[in-house]
Parts: sequence; structure tokens; C-alpha cells
Amino acid sequence: MRDITKVRNIGISAHIDSGKTTLTERILFYTQRIHAIHEVRGKDGVGAKMDSMELERERGITICSAATYCDWKDHAINIIDTPGHVDFTIEVERALRVLDGAVLILCSVGGVQSQSITVNRQMTRYRVPRVAFINKCDRTGANPDRVIKQLREKLGLNAVPIQVPMGLEGDMQGLVDLVRMKAIYFDGENGDKIREEEIPAKYKAECDAKREEMLDAVSMFSDELMEAVLEGTPTEEMIMAAIRQGTLALEFTPVMMGTAYKNKGVQLLLDAVNAYLPCPTDVENFALDLDHDEAEVKVSNLSSDPLLALAFKLEDGRYGQLTYVRTYQGTLKKGDSIVNVRTGKKAKVGRLVRMHSDEMEEIEEAGSGDIVALFGIDCASGDTFTQGDYNFSMSSMHVPEPVISLSITPIDNKAQDNMSKALNRFTKEDPTFKTYVDAETMETIISGMGELHLDVYVERMKREYKAEVTVGAPQVAYRETITQRAEFNYTHKKQTGGSGQFGRVAGFIEPLEEGEYEFVDQIVGGSVPREYIPSCDKGFQKCLDKGALIGAHVTGVRCAINDGASHAVDSSDIAFQLAAMGGFKEAYAKAKPVIMEPIMKVAVEGPTEFQGSIMGSLNQRRGMIIGTNEEDAYTSIEAEVPLSEMFGYSTDLRSLTQGKAEFTMEFATYRQVPKSVAEELIAKAQKNKK
Amino acid sequence: MLKQDLIEKNPIRHLKGESDAKESSRMGLVMARAGMGKTALLVQIALDSLMNDKQVVHVSVGQSLDKTKLWYDDMFKDIAEVCKLDNAGEIHDAIMRNRMIITFNESKFSRAKLEERLHDLTQQNVIKPSCMVVDGFDFAKTDRAALEGMREMAKAMAMQIWFSAVCDEGSDSQAGVPAPCGGLEDLFNTIVLLQPISQSECLDLKIIKGSAAVSKCGKRLKLDPRTLMIREDCK
Repeated sequence: MRDITKVRNIGISAHIDSGKTTLTERILFYTQRIHAIHEVRGKDGVGAKMDSMELERERGITICSAATYCDWKDHAINIIDTPGHVDFTIEVERALRVLDGAVLILCSVGGVQSQSITVNRQMTRYRVPRVAFINKCDRTGANPDRVIKQLREKLGLNAVPIQVPMGLEGDMQGLVDLVRMKAIYFDGENGDKIREEEIPAKYKAECDAKREEMLDAVSMFSDELMEAVLEGTPTEEMIMAAIRQGTLALEFTPVMMGTAYKNKGVQLLLDAVNAYLPCPTDVENFALDLDHDEAEVKVSNLSSDPLLALAFKLEDGRYGQLTYVRTYQGTLKKGDSIVNVRTGKKAKVGRLVRMHSDEMEEIEEAGSGDIVALFGIDCASGDTFTQGDYNFSMSSMHVPEPVISLSITPIDNKAQDNMSKALNRFTKEDPTFKTYVDAETMETIISGMGELHLDVYVERMKREYKAEVTVGAPQVAYRETITQRAEFNYTHKKQTGGSGQFGRVAGFIEPLEEGEYEFVDQIVGGSVPREYIPSCDKGFQKCLDKGALIGAHVTGVRCAINDGASHAVDSSDIAFQLAAMGGFKEAYAKAKPVIMEPIMKVAVEGPTEFQGSIMGSLNQRRGMIIGTNEEDAYTSIEAEVPLSEMFGYSTDLRSLTQGKAEFTMEFATYRQVPKSVAEELIAKAQKNKK
Repeated sequence: MLKQDLIEKNPIRHLKGESDAKESSRMGLVMARAGMGKTALLVQIALDSLMNDKQVVHVSVGQSLDKTKLWYDDMFKDIAEVCKLDNAGEIHDAIMRNRMIITFNESKFSRAKLEERLHDLTQQNVIKPSCMVVDGFDFAKTDRAALEGMREMAKAMAMQIWFSAVCDEGSDSQAGVPAPCGGLEDLFNTIVLLQPISQSECLDLKIIKGSAAVSKCGKRLKLDPRTLMIREDCK
């Protein structure tokens, strides 16, 4: 079994195009997992190793986070590559849940962009210690100092450089390591020969000053170091220990730099991962005790304790269903039987593998803190596995509701078959991707977290499953809810031919603060027979699918019945269902129903000179501007804008700002639509009905 | 409690004399030692304008957007809870549309920049504020001219501006305006000092300068430390 203190589960997270995949590619090369370097947009057509999906290779972005394992200087490193686009945040968040530490990559020119802010916020939420790496120092306009300033101001990190670059842009020669005070050069065609020398005279003064700064910042975390600094004798070990301590406490972020493309600085980053990022036992993980109202229980992190493992990703690859698992406690052995806590089902561990993008390596067992993959286990992502002795669940991951939907129609019969296969797989893999058939139009509807999110799935259908589909216009997922209590008293009667139907129900509906639907049974004295009460519940639920206003899903309603009547012969399950439906319809109209729409939190970032026009554009789109923040020549604007108004915004924004501004959006909340818009929607819905 | 009652309980009612009501532009200053609740009182003043369906710009120097937004959400929640406000959620959504936060770095703030920003906003029809609160304005580092400029701006845009200032530790609060704002009192229509009352959980709002009617009665206002609303039951 491996030494758990020498395992690192890390993520590489960053803004799109800051060179994350290129960096991962270099890491795999230096750790000898691959033997040649392929570029993301390389001419050799092989593509980078981590971008295993064809589509990712073509678009140059990473969508699914593949898990990869490598060894660096007697440490085992599991790398989860995470996607950079905000529409795929569920992938990012899921990856963060199982990570112990992360490398935050920033472009030396672009600096901290809006996506980095989102990712940083997510990392803080999951308490992931991080080191920063300023990439692309070879690019024209590279300015690591500015990026460090932004790290401090925009992300609020205590970011302190532990390296100094020797030259920037085209003439970058190497780096000075401020801990050891050595100049480091990267020789050889692939930068794999490391040469250590004394610091050249012209960088000496700068390095001394920066080292002083670093020691100041880092001595906060160690009294021993503080004393040594005062006496002028700090040792390498002391500094490294203090940096590690500060990093683990999330109070210090060491900043490294280099250029992955030009093969500089990557090995030092790997050293830093080993030295400063936590091993699985350094991190506190919590499980939820299902027997005690989901109370938090600390996980021991010991391989010798009973098993606790979390399935965080499913993939339906060419070898069958693959389940990525992280063990938090205990040992997963080949041949063991494990229990899925959610379903209570037992399963046998058949094959246990360690993943390397899309190749794999068979292993016999995996200790606590490891990330491995299992074959042939039936489960959903987010399920917890034990050996049957616990009723714990690793904290369930928050899955946002989809906010946008599209209709898709296959072009021929063959495409129809393939489409359903594809949809089946996608929904299993990605909890934010949902699909259903609209009962009225008989169209297949797919829904997800954003335009790009759905785009990518439509593309994947075409490529991987050869399912050509025509796509309808995107639809926003509106909802309906009620704003006041209303009573009903409805009798359903049908006595024409055959056996009749009779049922009367009375009660009320009222707004429900939390949750979607609640059924309350307040019947006393048996005015509605026991056996028909579930029928009423069923009837109400049927009404929720389509609200009376625009046919949107109804949420936030409590339905209660408190009186009724039945007939000895004519009452039946269906009669009471219909009575409940009638009652709901009667009360719904009186309960002042309203339409709710998804509101997105939008952050736009651009040069200050465009601030006025950006704000104007948000205002036009019914945006509520929360505020602005000025930063040198850049301004960021935060606003809450209805999703329905955000279609095509990227094009508009580009033309408004000469392509110099960019934006991110995230689902924020559901809010009532203004009256004028509501009227429009209702009129449209009525027209569609006819 | 209804929105109207809430408006009446706001301490700002006592800061405006009858004659002030006609005047649309004015400058106010809230002083207190660190941690007494200056920002809270400013937010309270802003909320009052918002409740009256007026638009507010909140300028925050040195604090982040999210933090400032939290101030509003928390204050509103506290007030709604303590005063048992009906349909709080609806009112919250409605009034927050009229608020806009502008944040600056300490080193980046200047009157010219702020004016340019405000100009942009009104021109784009995003917001036309009738009240502006400025939190974190560094009085120790500004001269009279800058404040005079602000006063002109207030006049030109027909709005009231409220500032917050940290009193220097140990400065004598009995006599006049505490440092660092001594000698600037002629620029402000209203100056108030927030200070703790010994052996009471309430805060004392001392009106150092205000309209004639208010200062005459020499009334001391007692505020609830959580909501900064006037509290009558305070011992």
C-alpha cells in the first residue's frame, strides 16, 4: 500500500485559454506518462492527451474532467482537469469536491478574468488550498506583478511570489527560486534538463528585495521561522514548512510563474505541488450521518478503517460504464463487496483501475484518499459506497435546476434510435442535463445550464452517435407560482351511461415558502374515504405540470383538503383525481398566480471607457445593475438579468466594445416577471394553444 | 408593520427640519469611532430614500461590491424582522432596483472620477439618484477644495450626499466637531455623532449640527444597535 502522505489529489483550474491543458500535457511529459508533447491546437492532429473527446480537440476547450494519475519524485499525483467555461460549472464543482488542493492558472497578460473569480469562489466554498501559477510569461505584454496585484485585490488572496522571472516575453531565460536563492534554467529541446546556478548579478537586488517580502509574509505562520529571520538564519526547510502551513490554512497563496508552452517552470510547479499542497490526511472531510438527521461526521482518512467512498463521475466509455470513485476512508479491494448507501444494493468490485485520460491501468487495491475507477457498478454520480457498516453519505452535491431548454427533432429513423441512446448516456453522466418528451407537441426537449452547454451535447450527439438533429429556438424555463391562499370546493359528477363518477373535495391552496409541493390531509371524520386521499394528492400533482397561465411548471404550492363527500357506488380513484384537479383549477385562478423567470447573475468586465455603454446594454435587457468596481483601466459591472434577455448577448457585447469586454453568467434565482412581460407571455401561450 | 411606519421610525426624520424639506441638495456627515456603526447608519439613510421610492447611489471606497451588497441585505433583513414588515421579499426586490453600488480602490477615488461615473449613469438612463452615500471617504487626506467640489456636485445634480468619517481616538467630542473634520462644519447641513451610551445597549445619536428646529429641542435620539432604528423602550 502507498504512503498516504505522498498522495496529492489536485485540480488544475483556470480561465479559458490560459493554457491549462498545455500545462497538464507538460506535467504528464515530465512525469513520463507520455513520451511526446502534442499541442492543443497542434498540427500533428493528435491533440493533447487530456482532451480525449474529439469535440474538445476541435474546439480547443476541455469539457469533461478526466482524471489522470502520475508520479513525481516519489509522490503520487492524481490530476483532475477541470473545464474552463461557466456553463460546465457542475463539472468544476464536482471535481472540487474530491480535490484536496488546486493549482490556479492565470495568464500573465489576461490576469484575473471573470472566470477565475467564479472558480476562486467555488474553491473557497469547498475550502481547497491553492497555489497560483502565472503562465504564458513568454507572451508579449506579460506582467506577473500586475497579475499578483489582481490576485490580491480581486480574489482577496494573500498572494506572494516565491519566484522571480529572469527576463520576460521573448527573452525569458529562467526563474529564480526565492526559497533556495538559486537561478534555474531549463535546457534541452523539451526543457527537461534542469540547470541550477548562482543568481546573475543583474537580478540579485530584485531577488533580495522579493525574498525579504516573501519572508515577511510567510513568517506569520511560524514562530520558529520568525525568530530565525530576525537572527538572519532562516533555513530552506523552515521556509518551506511555513509556506505549507499558510497554504493549508488558506491564508497564503504562493505564486509561481513560467511558460508551459516554452517548457519553463513546470517542474518547479510540480515540486511545489508536492511540498505545499495537502495530502488527503491534511484535509478535513465530513460525511453526513443519515441516521441522525444528516449530522456532520468527521472522516478518519485512515486506510485501516471501514470504507467510505464517493462516486463523483460516471462515464459510458467503450469498455462499459466507468465510475470514478474517491475513497475518503478505508480500502477498496478487488473482489470486495460494497454497498451503495442510497439504494442499499450490494455490488462486487470486479475491476479496479487507475485512469490515465482514456487509457487505464489495473490495480489490486486503493487506499484512503485515492482516486480510481470501477467497472460494472450501477450507480448515479454523487452516490456513496461503504462496506455496509455505515449509514453515512458524503455530502450530497448541490445540483442546480436547468434554466434553458431546446427542442430537438431527429432527421430520420436511424437518427432517432441513436439520439435516444445518446440522451440516455448524457443524462446519466451529467445531472444538470435533463431530457423529456413534451406531451402536447411530441417533441423531445433537452434542458441544461446555458446555451453552450446544450450546444456541446447536440454536437456530441452528431459526432459520437451519428444522430443528426434539427434544433429549435432556445426556451427559458419559466415557472408559475401562487401568491395568496385560496379555497376550493369542487364536485366532480358524471352520470351518463355506464358506471358514474362522483367525488367532492374542499380545501385550500397556499404559497409554500420552501420546496416545490406539499400535500396536507386535514380530513376528519372520513368525509373522504381513506383510500381516495392518495388519489387527491395524485390529482393535484398532475396539475403542477402545466400551470393555467402559460403552461409552465407550477412550484411552491401547498395543497390541503379538509372536507369532501363520496358516493358508495360511483366514487373511484379516477373520480377523486378529477375532483382534485377541478378543485385546484378553481382555486388557482383565485390565488393570484404569477410567472417566475430565471434570473442570472451577470458579471461583465471591460475597459473603463466602455462602462457607460455596457451599463446601457444591461439596462436595456431589463438588467438590475448591482454595482461597478473600478480597477486600473478595467471596470467590472455586476448585474442581475433575466435569462430570456441574455440570448445573443455575447455578440452584442463584442460589437459594443470592439471585442474588449467579456462576461460570465451564473444562475442566481427565480423572480416574478414584470406585468408587461407577463401579459405578453400569456398572450403568446394562448395563441399557441389555438 | 407597513412600509409607511418603517419610514417614520427612521432616525433621519429627526435630522431634517421643516425648512430642509424644500431644499433638494444637502450634505450630511456621520461621525463615530471605528466599529460604532457608521456604515450601518449610512445604509439606513440609503434604505430610507429607497423606501420613499427614490434612487440611491452607494459609493464605497475600499470595500468590495459583495460586502456592500451584504450590508444592505442584512440591514433590510434585520429591519424587516424586528419591525415585522409585511411582504418583505417583494419590497426588497422592488427597492433594490433603485440602488446602485459603485466601489473604488482607496487610491483610485477622486471627485472627478466619481462625477464622470455619475454622469455616465444618468446619461445612459440607468439611474438618477436623489441620494448618495459615500462610505470610506478619507477626510484626513482630503482638502477643503475636494469637499467644496462635492457640494457643488450635490447642487448640480440636486441630490443629498451623506459621508461617514472616523473620529480620531481621544479627540474631545464635547466641543464642536471632532477631528479630522474640524473646520469643515460649514460645508455640511447636518453633522451627527454616534456614540455608545454607558450601561445601555442602545446607541446615542448626537446631533452636532442640524437645522435650527432640531438643535433647539436638544433631543438625544436613542437607536437600536441592530437596526439603527429609533427605540422608544430604551432605558
